[in-house]
Amino acid sequence: MRYKDKMYKIGAVFLLSAVILIFAISFGSAVEASVCCAKTIDGLSCQNVPQSQCPSGSQQAPTSCESTSFCKPGVCYSPNEGTCLDNVPRDVCNVNNGTWSETSPAQCSLGCCVLGDQAAFVSLVRCKKLSGFLGLETNFNNKITNEVQCVLSVQNQDKGACVYEKEFENACLFTTKANCDSGIDGTGKGTFYKDKLCTDPELNTICGKTDETTCVPGKEGVYFVDTCGNPANIYDASKINDDAYWKNVVRPEESCNLGTGNSKSCGNCNYLKGTVCRQSETGNRANYGDNICTNLNCVDSAGKARKHGESWCANDVGKKDSSKNNVGSRFFRHLCLNGEEVVEACEDFRQEECIEDKLVTSEGEFSQAACRVNRWQDCTSQTDQTDCSNSDRRDCAWINNICLPKNPPGLKFWEGQETQQICAQANAQCVVKFEKGIFGDEECSENCECLTDSWLNEQISTCNALGDCGPNTNWVGSAGNKAGYTLTK
Amino acid sequence: MFNRGKRGQATAFIIAALAIVAIIAVVFFVSGPRGGLLRDDASDPRAFLEGCIEEEFRENVELIASQGGELNPEGFIVYKDKKIKYLCYTNEYYKTCVVQQPLLKEQFEKELGRMLSPIADNCANNLVDALERSEKSVSKGEVKLDVEFSPGKAGLNIEAPLTVSDEVSRTYKNFEISYASEMYDLLAISENIVDFEASLGDSEITAYTQYYPDLIIRKDKLGDGSTIYNVENVVSKEKFTFASRSLAWPAGLRGE
Repeated sequence: MRYKDKMYKIGAVFLLSAVILIFAISFGSAVEASVCCAKTIDGLSCQNVPQSQCPSGSQQAPTSCESTSFCKPGVCYSPNEGTCLDNVPRDVCNVNNGTWSETSPAQCSLGCCVLGDQAAFVSLVRCKKLSGFLGLETNFNNKITNEVQCVLSVQNQDKGACVYEKEFENACLFTTKANCDSGIDGTGKGTFYKDKLCTDPELNTICGKTDETTCVPGKEGVYFVDTCGNPANIYDASKINDDAYWKNVVRPEESCNLGTGNSKSCGNCNYLKGTVCRQSETGNRANYGDNICTNLNCVDSAGKARKHGESWCANDVGKKDSSKNNVGSRFFRHLCLNGEEVVEACEDFRQEECIEDKLVTSEGEFSQAACRVNRWQDCTSQTDQTDCSNSDRRDCAWINNICLPKNPPGLKFWEGQETQQICAQANAQCVVKFEKGIFGDEECSENCECLTDSWLNEQISTCNALGDCGPNTNWVGSAGNKAGYTLTK
Repeated sequence: MFNRGKRGQATAFIIAALAIVAIIAVVFFVSGPRGGLLRDDASDPRAFLEGCIEEEFRENVELIASQGGELNPEGFIVYKDKKIKYLCYTNEYYKTCVVQQPLLKEQFEKELGRMLSPIADNCANNLVDALERSEKSVSKGEVKLDVEFSPGKAGLNIEAPLTVSDEVSRTYKNFEISYASEMYDLLAISENIVDFEASLGDSEITAYTQYYPDLIIRKDKLGDGSTIYNVENVVSKEKFTFASRSLAWPAGLRGE
């Protein structure tokens, strides 16, 4: 009898172990081990993927890519271009002939690179490369530590006519004093005349007036050009033969007034107001030369005038700030760029929302919009109104004493169980008490409001506010083919 | 009266026919297939090669630029029936992407060089044929091609050793040709966008328009978290398109 009991116990333990083992095996096969794969079957480098997505020939390790040697992210330096790129896996950088390092190397330190009358905040090697392209000597200042300072450092440089001797003639280049002093075309130091144009007869140069114009890199306006190829003053058709206009530098604010842009006689374009120098097109030519101030502003799809660089919010149906977040709808940011209305979608499933504000300028309002993460995730966990309305932390609203997302997220309700879990938070039970009268009639005595349509509508709007839950219509306006809720009494 | 009218009609037809033949001849001689006879003028080998390669150069630049810089990209997304290479990618949610293609300009140049090498070789053979037709003796070595983009232009260095002999002998080692192109800036800006995607998970396109007035950047965010970028120079009409998947958000909490 004892032996039989013992055998039963052993049998039971064995059976239990077998059951646990089977569970373990099935669980193990359900959750496949993740590996860091150097090249996945889809040809993507350094991804943490299930082992089945990593071909056997590819280098892999059963850990995250950050912990491996071959896929460790770091800075990739291009010795040829002098540029640095962050978050590049070691082997990906090396295969492309870059120089990889875990932290930013000294070559990636930035400084101010002066390029004539312009500047770039780049590395030394990059500065050498850019200077080489422009045929300038490298002028790199690593003492300047930010981009704004760098740009400002070249803005107040003296500019004027640099007269130098070339083939027994007085050649001239309109440039900065620093450039003139360092010598032009290897001819030695030139003579600099601040704020003078090369066409000034007093300088006795070979450069003369023309009726041609040019767009100057880094500048907005249309400029006259002299016979030596130097830019002169801003294009003004009325001053083409005015000798005084070809002598000294005239500042844009003292030049002709462009008005509404596309002027055929004035080239005083203003990028901030939405005009810039471009080559003129057929049917819209300037009186002289091949360049004109082109209007970059737009008229949006709603017929409203928009300035170049302006952005504004819209949703799927073009209704701005629509309070109804229909199934499948998302937010969009519209931009006016170069005369074109560009549409930029925010993250799908309303995981991003569009925010908008306006700047008031002397030229009128200037709208600015951006897609921002929709922080709806912890709304329903908030029990305090202050916490709920804390816009620094979340995007929620306190409605009917419940904290709900301001913009309900979209859900993949056609797959998985998550939508049911999210929408189930709106399940509500209301116990209504009835009192029976002497004659058998019933009369509601407690929670009677739960029997009204307004209570039902309140529950439906709570349900809708949680996400794509409850009765709803999709973004093209079609209602769902089910009620979206059940009411049991 | 009737005969006179008929004769006049015949004359008109003959004149019309001659005019048509003349127009066809002019069109054939001036433009012709791939530059026609004007391009067969091999007296200037550099100009001959420049004219011969240009159309293929433009077509190939447009093709690989529309696919993220590769002819047959690995790690791509199909967008509007085109394979667009991911320059930065993560398959995970809530994480910034890992750069897939550093040194973008160099890679673009290499890929374009690979595609144009057989074309350059073919053009060099056409040059030899044209020179031989003009009774010159020509010897040609192996043709190699390098592409380098710089601001405003694309430079092609064609190493094509040629010795042309008639009364005098001339030897050419390589030919340097260049075409106007704004691809250098487009690639530099694209790499900068990738840097933002890899470090911050997104990029703000209006920041670029302050510095590059001729630029339009279009961004299309897809349902799977991928973003298609299209960087265009509105003056030269050149474009560069690439994909990125960074800081993707699932639908709901887990995307189930």
